[in-house]
Amino acid sequence: MRCEIEFTLNGATTQWAGEAGRKLLDVLRDEFALVGVKCGCREGECGACSVLMDGVLVNSCLVAMGRLQGCEVLTIEGYRLTERFKVLDRALANRSAVQCGYCIPGMVLAAEALLAACPRPSDAEVRRGLSGNLCRCTGYNAIAGAILDASKEGEGLW
Amino acid sequence: MVNSMVQTPKGKEGDTLAPKTLEAALASLAQEGAIPYAGGTDLMVAEDERRPFLFLHNIAELQGFSEDDEYYRLGAGLTYTRIMNDKRMPALLVEAASQIAAPAIRNAGTIGGNIANASPKADSALVLVATDSLVRLVSAAGERVIPIGQFLVGRQKTTRRPDELLVEILMPKRWLADYRFTKVGGRKALAISRVSFAGLFAAESGVIQHLALAFGAVEDTIVRRPQIDGLLIGKSVEEARALSEEWLAAWDAAITPLRGRVSARYRKQVCLNLAAAFLKSRLESTD
Ligand SMILES: Cc1cc2nc3c(=O)[nH]c(=O)nc-3n(C[C@H](O)[C@H](O)[C@H](O)COP(=O)(O)OP(=O)(O)OC[C@H]3O[C@@H](n4cnc5c(N)ncnc54)[C@H](O)[C@@H]3O)c2cc1C
Ligand code: FES
Ligand code: FES
Repeated sequence: MRCEIEFTLNGATTQWAGEAGRKLLDVLRDEFALVGVKCGCREGECGACSVLMDGVLVNSCLVAMGRLQGCEVLTIEGYRLTERFKVLDRALANRSAVQCGYCIPGMVLAAEALLAACPRPSDAEVRRGLSGNLCRCTGYNAIAGAILDASKEGEGLW
Repeated sequence: MVNSMVQTPKGKEGDTLAPKTLEAALASLAQEGAIPYAGGTDLMVAEDERRPFLFLHNIAELQGFSEDDEYYRLGAGLTYTRIMNDKRMPALLVEAASQIAAPAIRNAGTIGGNIANASPKADSALVLVATDSLVRLVSAAGERVIPIGQFLVGRQKTTRRPDELLVEILMPKRWLADYRFTKVGGRKALAISRVSFAGLFAAESGVIQHLALAFGAVEDTIVRRPQIDGLLIGKSVEEARALSEEWLAAWDAAITPLRGRVSARYRKQVCLNLAAAFLKSRLESTD
């Protein structure tokens, strides 16, 4: 079933036409060249494809394009431009929390979603917030630590 | 080849793609046999772009929550995140919701999708079966309210007609005070249950008033056997202890687990252990 929709993508009003059942993940990567959105599993298990839809963390591999009419989608490419990103970026770098980097765009957006809802999380809350994002390299400790650092350093931003 | 009769649904008017009223959604379901799309977390695992989805998220009737003396009334479109963040929600349902997958799935996935998908592993459906909840199905022609056990009839099989939407779940309030919800799974987050269990118990003056067990991820549908639990209802703790072997044997005979990734015998044994432990703990606390 084809559809024509209008939605906001990283702040820009965007028209799109195509199959309503197409995965947002595929459209972001293949049609909008937003390749910071990673594809790990296509079935909701890994979180590499995470984006914010109306401010809410979702797996873009499980969102059909037709669902997006009137919505705001933020990918890592849009989030990069924010002050909050800079704080998270610095915190991850300080702890050398990034290895291959594949999981990181999704991790960062999961961290944003967590901190937006809970600005001063406990370690357990951070780990719960990241529980849908798999990392094959780091063992999570450095990433979780960096998010706790960011929550302190970003005082007032979240 | 252009078929001029086929209209492209225009999202902008929000009419056929994502209707804003239940009425409009039901009218288009009656005509087109579209596939209702709630959170997409079950539907979108499949790779098929061409499915004719009807997006439900704009329909206010599916987002409601209210309660009266008898029931919690839960809109089918409530997400797990909404359920977890609403203090008015029944604790048993909140507990099941908070153990489902991970935040992104809980943000999108809905209780109605969990039921309508008719998976024997569905966690909120398990709770609704254990509590003998009712589902309200509405079509352009009318509505019906039926026990969830008459809705879920097989793996991916429900008694929903193609022109009906699941609009509301009615969860009886009566026996919710004392419950247990357990998932025996693999990985913590994201792990769909291997075996899941929900149990309700109530006693007054040493007499069992209510006992209801339900098991998930073990047969084609969620298992609930009121006749078996009925063996102990109305009995004193003493009598129930004496009957507990018989009760467990009845469950043993009733559960016929399917072969799956985890062996059938293992799963059945887990069910029986969960049942026995639940009863034992409740009889002890009643003494
Ligand atoms: C990684 C991952 C982990 C998961 N973990 C769990 C878990 O731990 N426990 C668990 O129970 N589930 C789990 N699930 C499954 C899924 O998230 C849930 O079943 C969820 O509740 C489905 O809801 P939805 O709104 O996304 O359904 P959708 O995918 O939108 O729909 C599912 C089905 O229901 C139908 N439907 C939806 N709403 C209605 C309605 N109002 N009326 C009629 N039909 C309707 C659809 O047509 C479809 O057939 C998991 C899924 C993934 C991808
Ligand atoms: S690609 Fe979407 S969760 Fe893995
Ligand atoms: S850094 Fe490699 S997957 Fe996380």
